[in-house]
Amino acid sequence: MEMLNSLAAGLRNLAGIEPLAVITAGVIVGILGGAMPGVSPSMAVAILLPFTFGMSPTMGLVMLCAIYLASNYGGSITAVTINTPGTPSAVVTAFDGYPLAKSGRAGEALGVSLVASVAGGFVGIVILICFSAPLAKFALKFWPAEYFALAILGLTTVASLGGGKWLEALIAVLLGLMLNTIGLDHVSGVSRYTFDIIRLYDGFSFIPALIGLFALSEVFANVEEGNFKAFDKVSDDKSISSWPSLSTYLSLKWGMLRAGILGTIIGVFPGAGGTIASFIAYDVEKRLSRHPEKFGRGSLEGVVAAEASNSSSVGGALVPLLTLGIPGSASTAVLIGALMIHELRPGPELFSKNPEIVYTLFSSLFVANFVLLVVGALGSRIWLKVTMVPKSILYPMIFAFSIVGSFAVRSSLFDVGVCVAFGVAGWLLNKFHYPSSPIVLGLVLGTLIEMNLQMTLLMDGPAMLFTRPLSAVLLALSALSLCAPALRGLRARRNKKADKA
Amino acid sequence: MRKFLVLALAAAVLALSLTPAMAAYPEKPVKIVNYVAPGGLMDVTSRKFISIAQKYTDATFVVENTTGAGGLVAIGAVLEQPADGYTVFAATTSVVDKVVSAKKNIDEMVWGFEWVAMLMKDPECVITAEKGEYDTFEKLVAAAKKEDGRQIWGGPATGGNDHIFAQNVWAAAGIKAKWLPYKSGPEAMMGTLAGQNAAYVGNPADTQGRQGYKIVAISSPKRLPQLPDVPTFKELGYKGLDNEFMWRGFAIKKGAPEEAYKWWEELNQKVAKDPEWRSFLVRDGIEVSDWGRDKFSKQVEIDIAAAQRFLKK
Repeated sequence: MEMLNSLAAGLRNLAGIEPLAVITAGVIVGILGGAMPGVSPSMAVAILLPFTFGMSPTMGLVMLCAIYLASNYGGSITAVTINTPGTPSAVVTAFDGYPLAKSGRAGEALGVSLVASVAGGFVGIVILICFSAPLAKFALKFWPAEYFALAILGLTTVASLGGGKWLEALIAVLLGLMLNTIGLDHVSGVSRYTFDIIRLYDGFSFIPALIGLFALSEVFANVEEGNFKAFDKVSDDKSISSWPSLSTYLSLKWGMLRAGILGTIIGVFPGAGGTIASFIAYDVEKRLSRHPEKFGRGSLEGVVAAEASNSSSVGGALVPLLTLGIPGSASTAVLIGALMIHELRPGPELFSKNPEIVYTLFSSLFVANFVLLVVGALGSRIWLKVTMVPKSILYPMIFAFSIVGSFAVRSSLFDVGVCVAFGVAGWLLNKFHYPSSPIVLGLVLGTLIEMNLQMTLLMDGPAMLFTRPLSAVLLALSALSLCAPALRGLRARRNKKADKA
Repeated sequence: MRKFLVLALAAAVLALSLTPAMAAYPEKPVKIVNYVAPGGLMDVTSRKFISIAQKYTDATFVVENTTGAGGLVAIGAVLEQPADGYTVFAATTSVVDKVVSAKKNIDEMVWGFEWVAMLMKDPECVITAEKGEYDTFEKLVAAAKKEDGRQIWGGPATGGNDHIFAQNVWAAAGIKAKWLPYKSGPEAMMGTLAGQNAAYVGNPADTQGRQGYKIVAISSPKRLPQLPDVPTFKELGYKGLDNEFMWRGFAIKKGAPEEAYKWWEELNQKVAKDPEWRSFLVRDGIEVSDWGRDKFSKQVEIDIAAAQRFLKK
């Protein structure tokens, strides 16, 4: 009850033109920043950071959080319309969003991704407000052994990504893991495959690689086929601009809730974040779905899993920030910087010394989510036009944006080269029917797996992986998840034999 | 006579047009290159510094973040720029350590810069969990002796200044321990609270606003007035750990006009006296510094030597 009062007080602080304008501006900037390949949520927050210096600390924080929240949705727009995830966490959205757009259902995909983002966002915020203390305690139970096990569990989702082609998917994920070994070894500092190029010391930059693998490879493939028709010419009826009906949204509600909860929990662990959350949620939803065969070919459930989980991870990432003063993601690291510049302390002291700031922030997240729904719904009508642009115009633009976007990340020409190289590699792989999404999985999880395994071994040797209960459970789940399809196959075969006999 | 007048006039005009140009640094925006991501410690420092510097100058500053390889990428990027004084590198002790530990060319990547402004000294300290077994430095050392090399200390990257400091502490206390390198300082601190490591090596600011931590020993000549309960290493009876700190400061590529270096030295002296800047730093136990090229370069030499000693071990 007391909390509700505090929230209501926070909400009152937001009444008025200025706070609403600040939130709306934050949401718009966030959507646009998220949609621009090369501008990640943390960059969008950082770019606007100096603008908050002149504001009160509360308003500054409210605006930055609105940007953070909205940019996680913004990434899905380009993922759906042009197969270019604007943010790393929107990679999974592209798996089903883009096939939907290709088959002339961009309107449905955009509508569902917006509603799932907002719903996921709400789930994340509610969990943040109600359960941040126990969640923080839970986060402390996560040792390097658990991070390793979680990442291994993430790796098993590769089974969902390849469709029927498990061998190709396995090769692709191994490729991703191997590419990840490039750079300085974190624990010992030894340099691996860097050829003394300083730009390679941290391995390939993730975002240029992503843009290359998805956007450029798609452009190359279509140029090769000479396919320049706009998407809306694909289907004869006007279904492209038709929005999902209310009953479609309602039929997806449990998926939104499940993915939202999963996204929040994984978002709590520093270093795991929205990208891994979306992969795991996608896998879970595929296993629970009645139509798993549609995943990867244009499933609305797939879009829901990706978007609800990456948006809810925002609430999760704020848990360690507010309870322990530890950033849960790159974007919350910028928030910590913002707090420090405003001479506030991140962490639990904020609750005791400046509760009004915390509760205004909580309330503002609800408001920002609502604004996101409105702005996103209005904006979707514009995004949709992208799919009506003839490809002879669209593709040169995607190419240009890819080059600019990959340069923007670190102002580095080297990264542009990385982007083009990954584009060519992605095109070749797709040509020979190797899926590119497992490569991303390998790139995302490789460092996490390797570093945490090394740390665990340093701490107490390999036994630690199995003697810590949480780690053992996660590893057992991974084993199950790997064996399940094989067991199912065996049983199916036995049943067939039984039928014959 | 007329000729002379014309000449004099011409000279006067020339002089007038030249003088402002000479004294005009900075006449275009100055770019500050951070090697950490937005929100990182040096990033916050740079941004706070320029917001205060605006009181003393009309210059326009632009902050950029060029991350990668612990600062080596940023060093490369700054050294690629023309030596005109308009690209400033925002550095910390860690970057110098990184150049040494990655076995890069020190003459080029450290001494290719003039170290123009050292902003502060942030004392190194050892932090443990308040409610853990080791709430004093003595208990930590006693346990380390019993565990004989199995005790774990955590912090950011291998070979960074925190790791170097930890090794110095181990040597002074006569103990052996393991260094567990985390992805970032805050994650290592979370590990301290979770019981993954016995102690975290960092700076007093790390404990501010966070609950559950205790600084058990600090490397400073005297106790800090902000932290009256924290003993110095000297009081605890350990020698050679009186003045170990992390600095943060600015460096400019060699070969720029002298006035650019001077301008930065003078700006730092003005900002170092600013009450807002002082209170921003002092509350975290940081000592404000106004060192210019002479003293700062000597400090950088000391750090290089320490990092090289570490590498030999």
